[in-house]
Order: sequence, then C-alpha cells, then structure tokens
Amino acid sequence: MPHDNGLTVTLQPHASGPHLLVVAGDLDHHTTPRLRAALEEIEFGPGADLVIDLSGLTFCDSTGIATLVAAHQRAHDAGAALLLAGLDSDITRVFQIMGLDRLLAFYDSPEEAVRALSR
Amino acid sequence: MPMPLASAAEARRLAAVRRYAALDTASGAAFDRVAALAARIFHAPFATVTIVGDDTVRVIAEHGPPPRRAILKRLCAAAVRHSGPYVVDDVLLDPRAAGDPAVRGEPGIRFYAAAAITTADGEALGSVNVMDTRPRQAGEEELACLRDLAALVMDELEVRLTTHRTVEVERELRAGAERLARTLQRTLLPPALPRVPGLCAAAAYHPVSADEVGGDFYDLFTLDGDRWAFFLGDVCGKGADAAALTSLVRYTLRAAAVYDADPHAVLANLDAVLQQEHAGGETPVPYCTAVFGVLQPDGDGFGVTLATGGHPPALAVRADGTVEPIHPAGGQLIGILRDPQFAQVSARLNAGDALLLYTDGLTEARTPTGSMLDEDGLTAHLAAAGPTSADSLLTTVHDLITALGTGVSDDTAVLALSVPPATRTPFSGSLGAA
Repeated sequence: MPHDNGLTVTLQPHASGPHLLVVAGDLDHHTTPRLRAALEEIEFGPGADLVIDLSGLTFCDSTGIATLVAAHQRAHDAGAALLLAGLDSDITRVFQIMGLDRLLAFYDSPEEAVRALSR
Repeated sequence: MPMPLASAAEARRLAAVRRYAALDTASGAAFDRVAALAARIFHAPFATVTIVGDDTVRVIAEHGPPPRRAILKRLCAAAVRHSGPYVVDDVLLDPRAAGDPAVRGEPGIRFYAAAAITTADGEALGSVNVMDTRPRQAGEEELACLRDLAALVMDELEVRLTTHRTVEVERELRAGAERLARTLQRTLLPPALPRVPGLCAAAAYHPVSADEVGGDFYDLFTLDGDRWAFFLGDVCGKGADAAALTSLVRYTLRAAAVYDADPHAVLANLDAVLQQEHAGGETPVPYCTAVFGVLQPDGDGFGVTLATGGHPPALAVRADGTVEPIHPAGGQLIGILRDPQFAQVSARLNAGDALLLYTDGLTEARTPTGSMLDEDGLTAHLAAAGPTSADSLLTTVHDLITALGTGVSDDTAVLALSVPPATRTPFSGSLGAA
C-alpha cells in the first residue's frame, strides 16, 4: 500500500531540559533518512536526553524501527535517555510484540515524558 | 534427391516470406496509403499490396477495392516470380491469362501492373499492384513510381521486423529474469512439508505483490530421534536484500538446530550471526522476528517448546474450540539489539488441537473499520470457526485474507500444525456416534 503522508521532523530547541524531536507522518524507507539525519545532529550526554514526540506518526516500517533502536543505543552509550511520547495504540502494540517496550520508555505525551525525566 | 533449380529458388523465396510472416499485424495505415498512392499515380480505380506465400496470396492493403477475381490471385503469384515490373496490358489478350474462364466470362480486370516487394537479398515477398477495368499501357514514369512504392513497403517491413525481433529478445530476457526470480523464491520456501507421524502440517504464503519478493519464511524438519523442529518468521525489508537475508536466516536456523536444538539457543545463535552480518556498520541494519519450536511426540499428542524473538503470538485452537496464545512474554527482535532477550515456553498439543503460526502481514492488516486486525481480531475469527485441523486453519486464514482485501498491505506466511482427533472405538462414543 503506498504511504504518501510524507514526514516532517522538527527539533524544538530547549533552553533547559531534554531535546524534543517532533516526528509526524509516515516513517518508511523513503522518509527514514530524514529522521536519521536529524538524530545525528543531536548531541547526547549525561542530562542531555531526548524525547521524541510521535503523536503525529501514521506509519512505521522496519527501517524506522531500526533507526529508533540505533538512536537509543547512541543515547545510552552517551549516558542519556531516549523517551518516546504519544505513540498510537496500534504502533505501541507492534513495538510491544517486538519487545521494544523493554528498551524504550513509552509516554502518553511529551509533557509526561519530560516530567518523568525530572523525577 | 536434388531439388530442381526453380523449386530451390522458390524455397528460398518462401523462407524469406516466412521470416516476415511473424508480422501478422503487417497491414496498417502505411500500406493503405501506398495502395492509394499507386492508384492515383496510374489514374486507376484499384490497387493492392499483396504477399505471396506457397499457395496463398495475402492482401495486406487495398484501394478500391478491386472485385474479387481468381485471376488477380494468379497475376499476383506470377508477378513475384517475374523479374522486373510485371505488366499485362489486356488480360483478355494475354497468352498467360488466355483460356481462363474467369477472365472471359465476365467484365472485370483488364489491365494489371505490379512491382515486386523485394528483400535486400533479392527475394520477392509480394507486390504492389495496380488494376483497371479497361485495357491500357503503363508509362515508364508510372512503373518507376510503382517500384519506389514497393521499395517503401519493403523498408516498412524491415523496420517492423527489427522492432518485432527487439521485442522478442526483450521478452526472452524478461522471461529469463522471471524464471531466475521464481527459482530464487523457491529456495526461500520449502517446496513441501515433510510427513510427520501423528501430525498434520500445512503452510501457505500470501504475497501482496507478485513482483516483489517478501521476507517471510517457514520450515518444518526432522531433528534427532523422533523430534521435529519448525520455525516461521519475517525479515525486515523487501526485495533482493530481504531475499538474501531470508536465505541466511533459514540456513542459520537449520544449522543452529543441528548444533543445539534448544529453541532459546537457536534464536541466540541466529542473533549472533545477524549481528556479525552488520558489524561493518551497514544501514539499514538487517534483523528479523521469528518463532522457533521443537515437537516431541508424547502419548497421543506432542510436547511443544517454543521460543520467540519479537514475533506475534502463536495461537492454539484447542479441541473444544477455545483459542489461546502460546507466547512466552518478553522475546525481542533478533539481530539488532544489544543483549536481546528471547523467551521460551512449553505447551502441549493434544488430540484435536491445532497451532497457528503467522507473520504480521495478517495481524497488521486493516479491517473495514480502519483498525488493525491484531491478535484479538484473529483470535475472535478463529474462535468463531471452532475446532479445526491444519488444513482447515489454512482455509480459514485464506478466507480471512481474501475478505480483508486491500486492508492487507504486507505478505503473510502461515504455518499450521494439528494433531488428529482421537479415533473412537465403537463403544466409547455417545449414542449413534458411528
């Protein structure tokens, strides 16, 4: 099935607190390089965490999953946390079956994810 | 026996005609224009373009059109076997046509002129013909034009033959590539499942697209002693890369099972092999999900040990029709994570029980309401179908996939196993059980 929802990736600057990356549209092998490029720009470090807002995500294929896993590993190596926010229930279900819920923390909203980091 | 000279030449000519005979679409607007032009140049009412076979004269274009007369066929046949323009000023007076009742009996064609359509190697395929109902003579200029028109027809036939051959060559190349693709695809799926004593097994592959190889795989094979192993899974991606990865995964699973058939160990070995595969930093990283199981005959059923790595739950349809997942919690994707966890669970398949393994093309399909079918939707569908066998499970899934239609956006592989129901002795069943 063609997915033509495009993909927008926006890094919202934060004076303090974690980076916030807003990803909306379809994450597939055509669009994932854009997410990968945005993730590579981010400097992870202790306290320099990342929240990815996926509430606008409409589709995620295997390349999208591989990219999220790679970003998690890079953040982890740098002592940072990577949190996912706003996943819809279908994509959450798929991630759970793949066992990604043991790797990535899921939150209902970016605000909730940010609050979890400050605890 | 040596062939007479004349018939040897005719055989060469017929071979040339056959070369162009593949061009069944040889007629067309271009030849119609040639016929019309020939008639205009001669101020004659009729003109044709004909190809002369063994005993056939095929009219590929006509202007007029001329009355159908047997004499015309004979004149066209004579024209190709004649060197130079063939002109009959008055058919009635011509010794070559004299005595023909068709010419004598009724008013028709009196004048006939033809120029042969000749190949580069000198073989006449047919002719461009002009006809009139009154006797007359042909001028030099008119005949020169007729020769040019015949040469134009030949040029057009050559172009068409070249195009036809190019298309043929391309078709052969494409057929070759498709054969190769089908052969490769056969290596991805076992041609037939083996016979397992006391077990029914059936498998199917439901591709979404005929021209893109998906990455779903399954197998069922014998282990040591009376144990059997099975697996089913899905590699990431599509196309040639996915096909290569699928082969690697299948052969690794079979080899790992020989080395140590413990399902958890098999998946851990597969993970190690896939991790090595992308040690070079290749992107996208290849990974897969899989269920691997071992069957051990046990009484009138089988003990099943099942490990999963990031794969949707296998579903058991029990002899009483209830559906339950056989799914160890916590198995993760294979080949991409650091220190992945693979979970293992043991269960039993008793007489009348069936087990369904499937890839996510099925559970991620969209129902008419737009929501994902999911494990719950599949479970409800299987529960509604009731107690079943491996073959019936496959039919149920096939019907479901057909009903979901375009809601299915990914390939689906299905492997079903079942233990036949216990056979009843005449006295053990309820009344009239026979």
